[in-house]
Amino acid sequence: MASSVIRPLSRSVNPQEIAFFSKLSAQWWNENGEFGLLHRMNPVRTQFITDKLDLKGLDVLDVGCGGGLLSEGLARLGARTVGIDASASNIQIASHHASTDPSLATTLTYRHTTAEDVLSPPPSSGSGGISIPRQFDAVCSMEVLEHVDDPASFLTTLSQLVKPGGHLFLSTISRTPLAYFLTIFAAEQMLRKVEPGTHTYNKFIKPSELVKFFRELKDEETGKEWIRRWAGSGEVDVRGIVWVPWENQWKLLSRTASEWGGTECNYMFWVRRPEAGPSSTP
Amino acid sequence: MLRTLGNGSARRAGSQLFYARCRQRYASSTTVSQEPEHRDIVIVGGGPVGLALTSALRSSKAVSDALSIELIEASPLSKVSEWNPGPDAFSNRAVSLTNASVEFLRDIGAWEHVDEARTCAVEDMQVWDGLSDARIAFSAPEHLSAPQMSRMTENLNLQRACLRHLAASPSPSVKLSENTKVASVVQEGESEDGWPLVHLSDGRVLRARLLIGADGPNSPVRAYARIPCYGHAYATSGIVATLFHAPPHPLSANAHNSTAFQRFLTTGPIAFLPLQGGSSPQVPGSYGRPTTSSLVWSTTPELAKALIGSGEEVLSLMVNAAFRMPDVSLRYLNDIILSAHRSGTTISPEALREEIGFRERAHGVPGHASMLLEGSETMGMGMPSEGEDLLPPLVHGIQKGTPASFPLRYNHAEVYLGGEKGRGRTALVGDAAHSVHPLAGQGLNLGLADVRELVRCVEAAVRVGGDVGSLPALEAYPRARYLANHTVMSTCDKLHKLYTHGSALSPVVWARSVGLEVVNEMDTLKAGMMGAAGGRPEDALRAGLGAKTNWDLAVKALGAVGGAVQAAKIVRGVVGGVVGRATGRAP
Repeated sequence: MASSVIRPLSRSVNPQEIAFFSKLSAQWWNENGEFGLLHRMNPVRTQFITDKLDLKGLDVLDVGCGGGLLSEGLARLGARTVGIDASASNIQIASHHASTDPSLATTLTYRHTTAEDVLSPPPSSGSGGISIPRQFDAVCSMEVLEHVDDPASFLTTLSQLVKPGGHLFLSTISRTPLAYFLTIFAAEQMLRKVEPGTHTYNKFIKPSELVKFFRELKDEETGKEWIRRWAGSGEVDVRGIVWVPWENQWKLLSRTASEWGGTECNYMFWVRRPEAGPSSTP
Repeated sequence: MLRTLGNGSARRAGSQLFYARCRQRYASSTTVSQEPEHRDIVIVGGGPVGLALTSALRSSKAVSDALSIELIEASPLSKVSEWNPGPDAFSNRAVSLTNASVEFLRDIGAWEHVDEARTCAVEDMQVWDGLSDARIAFSAPEHLSAPQMSRMTENLNLQRACLRHLAASPSPSVKLSENTKVASVVQEGESEDGWPLVHLSDGRVLRARLLIGADGPNSPVRAYARIPCYGHAYATSGIVATLFHAPPHPLSANAHNSTAFQRFLTTGPIAFLPLQGGSSPQVPGSYGRPTTSSLVWSTTPELAKALIGSGEEVLSLMVNAAFRMPDVSLRYLNDIILSAHRSGTTISPEALREEIGFRERAHGVPGHASMLLEGSETMGMGMPSEGEDLLPPLVHGIQKGTPASFPLRYNHAEVYLGGEKGRGRTALVGDAAHSVHPLAGQGLNLGLADVRELVRCVEAAVRVGGDVGSLPALEAYPRARYLANHTVMSTCDKLHKLYTHGSALSPVVWARSVGLEVVNEMDTLKAGMMGAAGGRPEDALRAGLGAKTNWDLAVKALGAVGGAVQAAKIVRGVVGGVVGRATGRAP
């Protein structure tokens, strides 16, 4: 792929990772290819999101949209969706695929950029076309966290892209022996369901680490921590997802399953930014 | 696909308007350009399956809010919605709906538009072998929520119900295009993932996110999708006709004309399926209406042609004979009909009656089974004679114009989704995916089960913003249906092979009789066959799983019968010479 793809503009983007996914980008919409598992995971990810909010008419940012698997679904559900990716070829594939689908014409925009650049656009980039918002009702970043270099800075950027009272959705893989066995040993090396080299074990992040991050994250405007109370508080949710091979489907596990190791491997994470204004939170 | 249209009559102003509106909507686009119009779902074929599919999609609010749907049908659907025959005329295309099918139609809101007076509960079944007379009797078990194994109705009653359902809940996103043919389907662009472009006879081009073939056994959608299909033609044709007969004896189990009869002849099974009970003081408005049943008779193509060519009176005599006469006499009668047909003539009803009478006396046929005693003082008087429940009532007339025949095939598409193997964004339902022997009356029931699962997939995909034409959105559909359909189809196929073209001298008869007696002993299997022939699978187990399990049992038992046939062949090998010497001179 073209070297222009690799723009070490931001701290979180890893040039090797971007080159790796660029190489695979033509495969994004092959439903039985490298990304077959991701295609089957998509309904569960979207379900997790729609369980929390009605997307109709909301501004949503999909960070690391890849071929646009999630972005297209969000746009079809009525969200004004912006998909961004650090790989130019991903964006090219995603745009091409969306252009064949008339239901996405008015609600979906793709941009070859990074989260950091959306937050503070570099003065040089006179980005033509439609301007995109600086903050969103919901920010999603699915299966991206385990590929970035500086997760703390990446999460901080994402948090700043969320409007007050808005939602942040993440999905990633926990750093456990089980996760190593399933996602790297079994899926990549043994079964070759996923391209070998897709995942790096020590980049995986545990749910408890994410919770800790947002417990300590002070909101820019209100100064409040993002998480003050734990489970069932309506501020945060962690749910495991598992692959059911004989059904060729992923299942979203119940909240109680988390206590039984439900989040030992792939999991979804949701957190809400505190409302603006001192008295607006109940 | 519409095969037959019954006697349509009175025009319905309401439905006229409905269709006019649809035509008008398209008038402008036809003349302006041939720029493809986008549709999320294009359904080809407005037969019972295609219409039920449209109804089911419409009844899901999530689906009809989100997707644009268009049904393409070559024939005038308005004729179906205006179809309004009297109680003395029935279309020859009737179907036995399982309780599961009825429940599905009720769930989607189409059943309330079915004219229930034109449906008939099947409460008992009598199935027997034409050679050995080994017999199975099924009854609807008491614990069923509805005391019926299945419900007979005309296909048209069902199609009209779906059209009425759609007309009663009009939606800008659901369109019906009647009198419109699919001229061709081509793939957009060069690549294999291009969307189907459906060129229509009215000049429009539809660009389909998902193209569904409900277009029958020779499905053009299947051809476009490049989905291979395997199967074989049976050397068999199915004869259908509407039969009028005397009401069954009021004290017999069949008093309300609620028993289905099926006899496995050496030329194929013949079925007598109740459509309407006769006039009864208990049923208001039933005065003077004829007791009516539907015929489905699988036989050799030549005999089918000869029988239909011989006229309705000869056919009704032969139907009576086919349920009553021993195999040897039936073959004799068949030969008479065939040789007349070959010489370009037909046998007169009088001559046939005489032949039947002669053979009845020779066989010592008991009075209640006689065809000549019809109208005599024994009919419907006194106590029903022993065994009267075992035979269908005597046919005394066939509705004019209803006898027809069609070739029977076994066909199963290799996949149901083009995305699995072939061109994407295509799906097959009903006969486009599978043609099954009609001996268990399962064809349309399988099609409706397909519809239920496909709509479930579409709805689930819409809820998560999925692309309903994509493989991940639809792959649960074949997973739920393919094996289930295959099990039923191969069971019917095995039954057909087991029971057809036997010879009276063959040890297979012995195996057949043992097989059926074995079947009669096995309560579980009986439940399975009933699930298949009409019972609600939920009453045994849950939904599809139950039906599948019951059929699996049936398959296992048939495997045992197959083993018996093998054993019989070995026996023949050993004692064949003796049997051959003993019987060889007889004919």
